[in-house]
Amino acid sequence: MRRPDLQTRIAVTGAGIICAIGRNKEEVWRSIVESRSGIGQLTRFEGETFPTDKAAEVDEDLSDLVTMPRRDARRLSRTDLLAVIAASEAIAQANHGSRPLPLERAVVSTGTSTGGLLEGESFFFRRRQVGRRRARASQVLQQPTSGPSDAVARAFELGGGVVSNATACASGGAAIGMAGDYLRSGQADVAIAGGSDALCRLTYSGFNVLQAVDPAPCAPFSADRKGITLGEGAAYLVLERWDDAVARGATILAELSGYGASCDAHHATAPAEDGRGAQAAIRRALFEAGLSTVDYINAHGTGTPLNDSAETCAIISAVGSNVPVSSTKSYFGHTLGAAGGVEAVISVLALQNQLAPPTLRLRETSADCSLDYIPHTARPMAMDAVLSNTFGFGGSNVSLLFRRV
Amino acid sequence: MVAPGAIGVAAFRAQLAEGRSGIAVIDRFDTAGLTAHKAALLRDFNPREFISPGKMRRMNNLSRSGLSAARLAVQDSGNAALDQSTGVAIGTSFGPVQTSVEYMEEYVAKGASLAPPQLFAESVANAPGSHIAIDLDLRGFNITITQRESSVLAAAMYAASQIVKGAAPAALIGGVEEVNEMLFSVIDRIGALAHGDDENSRPFDRRRNGMVIGEGGAMFIAGGSAPPQAYFSGFGIARDITASVSDWGTEHEAVVRAMRAAIDDAGIATADVDAVYASANSTVRADRLEARAINALFGAQIPVVAAKGIFGEYAAGGALQLAAAVLAIADQNLHPSVGFAERDEEIDIAVNGSLRKMALRHIVVNSVSAGGGIVSAVLSREPA
Repeated sequence: MRRPDLQTRIAVTGAGIICAIGRNKEEVWRSIVESRSGIGQLTRFEGETFPTDKAAEVDEDLSDLVTMPRRDARRLSRTDLLAVIAASEAIAQANHGSRPLPLERAVVSTGTSTGGLLEGESFFFRRRQVGRRRARASQVLQQPTSGPSDAVARAFELGGGVVSNATACASGGAAIGMAGDYLRSGQADVAIAGGSDALCRLTYSGFNVLQAVDPAPCAPFSADRKGITLGEGAAYLVLERWDDAVARGATILAELSGYGASCDAHHATAPAEDGRGAQAAIRRALFEAGLSTVDYINAHGTGTPLNDSAETCAIISAVGSNVPVSSTKSYFGHTLGAAGGVEAVISVLALQNQLAPPTLRLRETSADCSLDYIPHTARPMAMDAVLSNTFGFGGSNVSLLFRRV
Repeated sequence: MVAPGAIGVAAFRAQLAEGRSGIAVIDRFDTAGLTAHKAALLRDFNPREFISPGKMRRMNNLSRSGLSAARLAVQDSGNAALDQSTGVAIGTSFGPVQTSVEYMEEYVAKGASLAPPQLFAESVANAPGSHIAIDLDLRGFNITITQRESSVLAAAMYAASQIVKGAAPAALIGGVEEVNEMLFSVIDRIGALAHGDDENSRPFDRRRNGMVIGEGGAMFIAGGSAPPQAYFSGFGIARDITASVSDWGTEHEAVVRAMRAAIDDAGIATADVDAVYASANSTVRADRLEARAINALFGAQIPVVAAKGIFGEYAAGGALQLAAAVLAIADQNLHPSVGFAERDEEIDIAVNGSLRKMALRHIVVNSVSAGGGIVSAVLSREPA
């Protein structure tokens, strides 16, 4: 069996993103630079009452952003559409000014937590009203979490294979890490890898009943943090083996040089307080990159009391106390299964721009969060290596390490 | 294995040998007015034999099946110690649909603020993997693959890549699925289930007209210190670009590419493969597509076993299909293809009818998914 060879370098040649602070990289980065948060009042789910009412939403109507035929788009879930929009931007960038990607050998790898659950909920309500024989089953064909990968593969005629994972909030990071390994072992020649998740009632309600939602916009690492703000979005990277990208004449944006995955084996929804699992994932990503530290960490930083202190412990144990850390969830909320993809794109943009995004609303640092969290405004700094953390329910942890070209 | 009709390896081996179908008429929910009424259902499965009542209360049926199968796998390995950095990779096609339905029913009844948090915690697809990690204290990678019919082989492919890369010394690999009213009635409404006559799963048979879905699961220990029963020696992945999001496609060359990639990955020749454990799920189109691919790559003579006639489709069926192939290598036995009796003129392959001894060096295991995704694996008697 061919081994994922860590000597094989992986190039990032495209990136696409849609989330509450922008519908593409340019808009997203402008918001980052201007410290403009995308968190506001929840407008979705009219008529429902939740204990909190903040969200980081993307425009409800996505039709102007979808380039596929309307007939095909109508069959897709919102999570699928977000995925196709982000993947389209990533593929266009990878093809710009170079020989085209060999899409017939491209694998798509997507992480999602909810898939088409939003449409599943509508079907559930409709079915209660009219009975199971009269509710249209075609409405939920894209309910499974394989939906976004299948939709992207179909939209761009990808022939290398499809892989979806639903590893809660670590999904998007896992999708990218796994795709890198399939390139390293030669199982595919190109990977379109990332995550996608749309807001839905079940998760909005669920995090509320877990009392994990901040009634105000989330304030990661802050003394008064009370939880997450739910968001939605999608992001993809185009990954290729370095030599293939060079031969194609592609512009290389960054290098994916490390992937670490671990499990806390501790609790269904809460992280291990000492951050042991997160630490193991960070260490593995560093090992794969042949590094002992990085220049900036884009933290999981959800804004829950437990996550932010456990992640701080993990970072201190793995790389010490001197690495600047920030949580861009303070801009676009927790995009759940998409988070690993969205924050990987932010990490690549940070490297390209040599600008570390800040943590917004960091009024007073918490006693159990003792690092430099880059408050309020983005910080210009020399960065060669950036780590992106994503952790999920069930104690799953993923760290990705990107390097500057 | 937690199989429809067999709990544990010994019972599973006997079920395969006898060719005893796990498919039965559904009695746990009302199927009146639907075209189909059968599924491969767990019977006589008592998760209390494996899980304490306190833990059971916090688990949905998928987690119960997964953790029970994991405990059985550990037992079967002679309780060989698992390194703490062992990983977990589980496939599930639909995951916690029933838990989501139950959550939404509570949401309607009590309101969005008062639904039970425990149900929400179990509504993520990776809950079974999490319970297994906590129970066995496994701190390596933990991932849940949800790629329709390919979920289990894609999970195995991921786990194998991490083991050979050196990221983990071993892994628990497997799949879980649950048959529930919501899933069953939706798949029925889109016309994908076996209907009319006896409603049984008939992979590759002339009379097949739809799949039967199944539940349960199987877990395997890959790597580690126990003596191996078979080796994963190669994987291949491809996609049929003619497939729509709800169909398998029409280009059998894509299935050939996945099988050939797995054979190349194993470092063997096509002639070294002695049998195929097929993905065939009793649908007209998927079975024809796969049969054409098998014929194109191996010719019409290679023995083909279709295990889903016993266990049904989706990730439980996929995990049990893989389990059958592992036992085929371990026992050097080829299993019967239950449900196959009448030859389809369009299907020119040698579907194996009854249990027989056979020298099996390498077996190709297929998973062909709606949406066009295909993952193939090579299982071998000796390490590559």
